[in-house]
Amino acid sequence: MQAPLSASSPPKPHIEVDHLVVNFGHVPAVRGVSFSVLPGEQLTLLGPSGCGKTTTLRAVAGLEQPASGEIRIAGVPAYSSARGINVPAEKRGLSMVFQSYAIWPHMTVFDNVAYGLRVRRTSAPKIAEKVNDALDMVQMREFASRRAAQLSGGQQQRVALARAFVFSPAVLLFDEPLSNLDAKLRADMRIELRDLQHRLGITSVYVTHDLEEALAMSDRIVVMRDGLIEQVGTPDEIYSLPRSVFVADFIGSANLIRGRYRPDLATDNLIALETPAGHVIYGMAYGRPVGSELVVSVRTVHLGISSERPARTQNVWPVRVEQTVFQGDFTQVHVGWGDQRLVARCAAMEPIAVGREVYLTIEPRRVVLLGE
Amino acid sequence: MERHARPVTGSAVQSAGSLVSAQKMAGYGVAAVAAVLVVYPVFFLLQASLDVGDPQVRPPSAYGLDNFGGLFQFPQILLNTLTVSLAATVMALLFGFVMAWILSRTNVPGRRLFEQLMIMPYYLTPLLGALAWGLLGAPESGFINEIWRALGGRGYLIDINTAYGIAWVMALFEGSVAFVMIAAVMKSMDPAFEEASQIIGASRIRTMLRITLPLVAPGVLGAAIFVFAEMLGSFAVALVLGLPSRYYVVTTAIYQLVQQYPPKIQTAAAMGVSLFAVMFVMLFVYRRIVMAGSYVTITGKAFRPRVIDVGPLRLVLLGICVLYLFAAVALPLVTLLYASLQKIAVIFPAAENWTLDNFRTAMSMNAVRSALGNSLLLGFGTATIGVLLMGLLAWVIYRSRLPGSGLIEYVVMFPQAVPRLVFAFGLMWAWVVFPIPIYGTIWLLLIAYLTVFLPLGVRTIAGVMLQIDKSLEECAQMCGASWAFRMRTVTVPLLRPGLIAAWLLLFIASIRELGASILLMGPHSKVITPSIVESWFGTSSELTAALALIQTLVVALAIIVLIAVTRRIGAHPID
Repeated sequence: MQAPLSASSPPKPHIEVDHLVVNFGHVPAVRGVSFSVLPGEQLTLLGPSGCGKTTTLRAVAGLEQPASGEIRIAGVPAYSSARGINVPAEKRGLSMVFQSYAIWPHMTVFDNVAYGLRVRRTSAPKIAEKVNDALDMVQMREFASRRAAQLSGGQQQRVALARAFVFSPAVLLFDEPLSNLDAKLRADMRIELRDLQHRLGITSVYVTHDLEEALAMSDRIVVMRDGLIEQVGTPDEIYSLPRSVFVADFIGSANLIRGRYRPDLATDNLIALETPAGHVIYGMAYGRPVGSELVVSVRTVHLGISSERPARTQNVWPVRVEQTVFQGDFTQVHVGWGDQRLVARCAAMEPIAVGREVYLTIEPRRVVLLGE
Repeated sequence: MERHARPVTGSAVQSAGSLVSAQKMAGYGVAAVAAVLVVYPVFFLLQASLDVGDPQVRPPSAYGLDNFGGLFQFPQILLNTLTVSLAATVMALLFGFVMAWILSRTNVPGRRLFEQLMIMPYYLTPLLGALAWGLLGAPESGFINEIWRALGGRGYLIDINTAYGIAWVMALFEGSVAFVMIAAVMKSMDPAFEEASQIIGASRIRTMLRITLPLVAPGVLGAAIFVFAEMLGSFAVALVLGLPSRYYVVTTAIYQLVQQYPPKIQTAAAMGVSLFAVMFVMLFVYRRIVMAGSYVTITGKAFRPRVIDVGPLRLVLLGICVLYLFAAVALPLVTLLYASLQKIAVIFPAAENWTLDNFRTAMSMNAVRSALGNSLLLGFGTATIGVLLMGLLAWVIYRSRLPGSGLIEYVVMFPQAVPRLVFAFGLMWAWVVFPIPIYGTIWLLLIAYLTVFLPLGVRTIAGVMLQIDKSLEECAQMCGASWAFRMRTVTVPLLRPGLIAAWLLLFIASIRELGASILLMGPHSKVITPSIVESWFGTSSELTAALALIQTLVVALAIIVLIAVTRRIGAHPID
């Protein structure tokens, strides 16, 4: 991320979540989660449904009562089990965009957006000015006097957004705000949201299960699973250097290869492992501890398929094409590799016949050691 | 745009430290009121049923189970109750099932209209039906039997003052409840289940037997148990039709034991407790069945069921629909109107027998005017206070997530399982010893109505509340609005149609209330429905018919407003 320039000390986090635990009845939904969000940063909680990401967000918002832990906003505890503090949601000074948009059907677009300002007893002329500015920013000014029922999904989304930032909250929370839009609109809104967030310079926490959305919009991503954090990092780190099998699998398509560590074959700073079928593959440890049984991950886009034998010597194998799946922008090529199948995602090219012998190559730096 | 305009301040943290918020106070306040309303009379009912000491001494001087053992001295009442309830349940289910099948699965003409008319028997009330069928089917003077004799028949054709007569009238009116329940099950079945069976090659009959029936069976069984429990607790029909021939079921027996001199409070209490224990178990089983059978209604969405082309049979089925509504709605109303316009109600009146005197008398009698006035006053009071109380309760139970809201739901829904007469008996016994002398006043009736109608009001409001996406309220909270502010600006405006509907339903229910009122009203706090029953036994059936029609007119006006409002709810854009 582009961290705000600071003279010497690192910037103080805007939101800090410490050992947060949330239970639904006796079922733990969040099982001890800690992370922090820097001022102006856009942080995304990413994970499959049921991983606790929305619950975590709602706990930060104050809509969910945690069982233990601490949540600090601008250094002040909003929730602390140790100190018995639980500031109600309306007093945390946050704002939120809901998955369902939550546009009040009994009010006009203008009244919806003006709500937060009226709560704060802003003067009428000031309200008109701010609401119109906000509606301008989301290009909804001309709809000001409409009611929610007369708006499309995308328009409701924009109104919800304007309503959330119009009263200049310190933090914006997003609960899967784009999941109810169709694919095309979702892609457009992604860019708009990112743009708006930069213009407002507002700290935001964003929840999604959509990988592309997370990669496109975030400064940092927190990957969650079963109420715990799997990995925290920039979109590039998360994508290129997944830490675990789960992250590698969840974040885009990856081939997982298991094998025995062969320290005797290691060269330079590469590690080598031997698969049960006898293939030796070179990869990189990226500072992770190396055990005796290893798992590495290779993204499908990083598998090279060529009909001529490449010049390199490491990580080159003759393989047979077993299946091809044409998917428009790219073609998925399944090749037999020892006793497993590997999937390569090739840019659209002339069709490869099933049964053909080709060469498979992988750059060693794309073979990422996973910790388990 | 400035940032951090409203950061979290230290004072906000401190104010949160104090646990007493407006929200919690309001929540626990209404919960406490509901608990007192429900638990206080139930406690006294249980106490009386276990009291084996001197009936004149309170609190009881000795406790034991003798009162329950004593119930075995009344085998006839048990037998009567079972006979009437079973017969009525079978008939009501038959009416309900046949009507539900015709109106949701066949191409009978005018289905839409009939479906809406099917709720009319429910609004007409069993009491009205009992009065009308009493006029029609009494062995000597009943209109039907007069016609029978005029045609040359001997004796009488039907006797409504018997077990099957009582069951018939009860079934006619409970049939519309069974219809609503069974039709809902039939509509919630995805037609794809049947289509899949036919695609595979099963015949229509086989599909019906192997797919349709098993899928609707849990719903029908649930309806059967629910209806049976209602029949066990029903009072008005058995009172009006059974009393003349001294045919008692459990509810009328309890009434008799309390009203006679000297009253047998302890026996009545044991009978009431036993009745509500049985009903409680049945409603529990009903809930289990509905939940276990929910694979049919798992999506909760209404499908458009496949309509069977029944060909020329359509007219026969249409005839069945018309016949049912005729027997349950048109005939009773016409009968009462006919009787109310005569000096002495006969089927072949002479010209000078016609009169408007009954209506004139009804409107000029002080007792009637004060009863009608009291009923209207109670209707307004119950509805207004009830909407406030039950609206808050619905919010506490389904929205607030205050600890213990599940328990509050049980307390609030408890009166559902207790016949109103039995509940009123508990109330009577409880408030007689209450330090503030409200026994025999209109205030006790208000308390009784607010208690027995808790489930009705809370369910009506909750139905609308659950349609409102929770995030609409949460969003207001995230915008910084306090509890009172978001109640005023978001929750209440969105709930308004539900609150109006609940107000009208409570008003209608109060005007028609019999079981609780008949025990609790005093000589200076008479209300209309028990007065109608008193008039039936004490004065003339013609005057009674006029009274019943006047009451029906008041209720009908409220229902018309209710329908207009619920139409608007349907059109209201709530996500």
